[in-house]
Amino acid sequence: MKKLNVLRRRRKHVHGMASMDFYACQSGIRHWNGSYKVFSAVLILALCLILDRPRVSVFIICSMGLLNMAGNRVSPGNYLRLLKIPAAFAVMGSAALMIGISAEPAGDFQISLPWFWLYVTEEGMVHALEVVLKAMGALSAMFVLALSTPAGELAAVLRKARLPGVVTELMYMVYRFIFILAEVHRTMRNAAVSRLGDVDFKTSCSTFGQIGGNLLILSLKKANTYYDAMVSRGYEGEFCFWEEEKPVKAWQIPALVGYVMILVFCRLTEGL
Amino acid sequence: MREEILRVHHLTYEYQPGCPAIEEISLSVARGEKIAVMGSNGAGKSTFFLTLNGVLTAQKGEIYYQGKQIDRRGFRELRRHVGFVFQDADHQMIASTVEAEVAFGPVNLKLSREEVKERLDQALEYMNLQSYRKRPPHDLSGGEKKRVSIADIIAMKTEIILFDEPAAALDPLHVKILEQVLSDLSREGKTLLISTHDVDFAYRWAERIVVFDQGKILADGETKEVFLQEPLLRQAHLKKPEMLMIYEALRERGLVRKGSYPREAGELADCIGGTKNDE
Repeated sequence: MKKLNVLRRRRKHVHGMASMDFYACQSGIRHWNGSYKVFSAVLILALCLILDRPRVSVFIICSMGLLNMAGNRVSPGNYLRLLKIPAAFAVMGSAALMIGISAEPAGDFQISLPWFWLYVTEEGMVHALEVVLKAMGALSAMFVLALSTPAGELAAVLRKARLPGVVTELMYMVYRFIFILAEVHRTMRNAAVSRLGDVDFKTSCSTFGQIGGNLLILSLKKANTYYDAMVSRGYEGEFCFWEEEKPVKAWQIPALVGYVMILVFCRLTEGL
Repeated sequence: MREEILRVHHLTYEYQPGCPAIEEISLSVARGEKIAVMGSNGAGKSTFFLTLNGVLTAQKGEIYYQGKQIDRRGFRELRRHVGFVFQDADHQMIASTVEAEVAFGPVNLKLSREEVKERLDQALEYMNLQSYRKRPPHDLSGGEKKRVSIADIIAMKTEIILFDEPAAALDPLHVKILEQVLSDLSREGKTLLISTHDVDFAYRWAERIVVFDQGKILADGETKEVFLQEPLLRQAHLKKPEMLMIYEALRERGLVRKGSYPREAGELADCIGGTKNDE
């Protein structure tokens, strides 16, 4: 039992922010032009919402899923695991759309509870399913972007899109610091646990608080050192980063146009 | 006599008023010199390096680079000529790929794209990092990060490079790589200042030792001269280098030639060759 617990805990570490970054760095389509990736992901997301048909959503979920597995090299099992949390949210949210409350029996299916009835109509169920599919379609498109583009490159695209410098610089810094804080937190936590800092619930809580407090002081100190290191290499108040030029390849634009045409075709032929 | 490249005159820096971290430091560095800066923790070595690099502005004293005094506006210029490799490589990593990290300095120097690319390629090759180009720095091991942090400074092509305890927390393989890089850099005529606690390394590598104690320079001289002063070593809490102790022990027994002062095991073996064992 104890062993199982350890395994579960370890798995929790593998998935999360760090794993997204890991996938983005090893992705087979990382070398695609960043602006192209952002543009097409946003376009597909928008079309998924505007065209608003389950057939379009299903097509996007499947095609983007394939791209994630083949292009971004995420194994099917890990991809499903990544989808699990947002899917759970979508399903829970759609439950609220699906279930109605009334004072008397109504709808196609109903449960009697003291004082009121919970009911579901068939129409409501279809509507909820459509919403879930739409959300998952939009999400798959965003996953293609997130799993193929490290945050640093994303910031570079936003800078090119004339977003204020302070936003993209903050993004860079936050991205960099998340890993440092996670590392510092991990070592502090290990040090605490090795001295029985998690022996019971009360101790765990106090350990958590102390780590939090130390993390703040440490991060302030680290911020100072980082600033010194940047200044020593000629930082003068503006982040300039080296970016490799990644031209858009000739086949990529017709491919995107073709994809959009398929989506529109799906929409137009529905109901024929 | 080699040409003077850097001189500091009565340099004082206080983090808090009344407690100087370094006090009245005067020193002259010649081009191509190999200097080890020694002293216990908190002796002021890192602060001294930060002021030399122009990150900290000394409250008192002057810095001269190639005979020209550095004024308030000149600190940016100073950073173009003096590079600083931080003790903890993590503190230096700022970009999201090794490539962007190494190019950070050259980009800040406002060089042309071609020039940045050329320096980037050179520095990565120098530190044998080509295969790491696209990796995020937080993904690397401690030794690899150190190599990246050195490549950072090599790409800036500064005449003087300051290393703050470069061998700290490195495995033996990376220490070896580091020493190789140091000797290559010095062969290329770079001026190197290294702060270290490793007396054996300092004895082997440096041609001049500067000893710091409580923010002041306790001794400054040729390596052998400094390490032969026992009271000084005691005061600065420094150990005598092993090689020197072995050499002295052998000399007392008349087993080695006098006055040779070998720096490495090979040199010591050569000295022993000259005399016969009594037994």
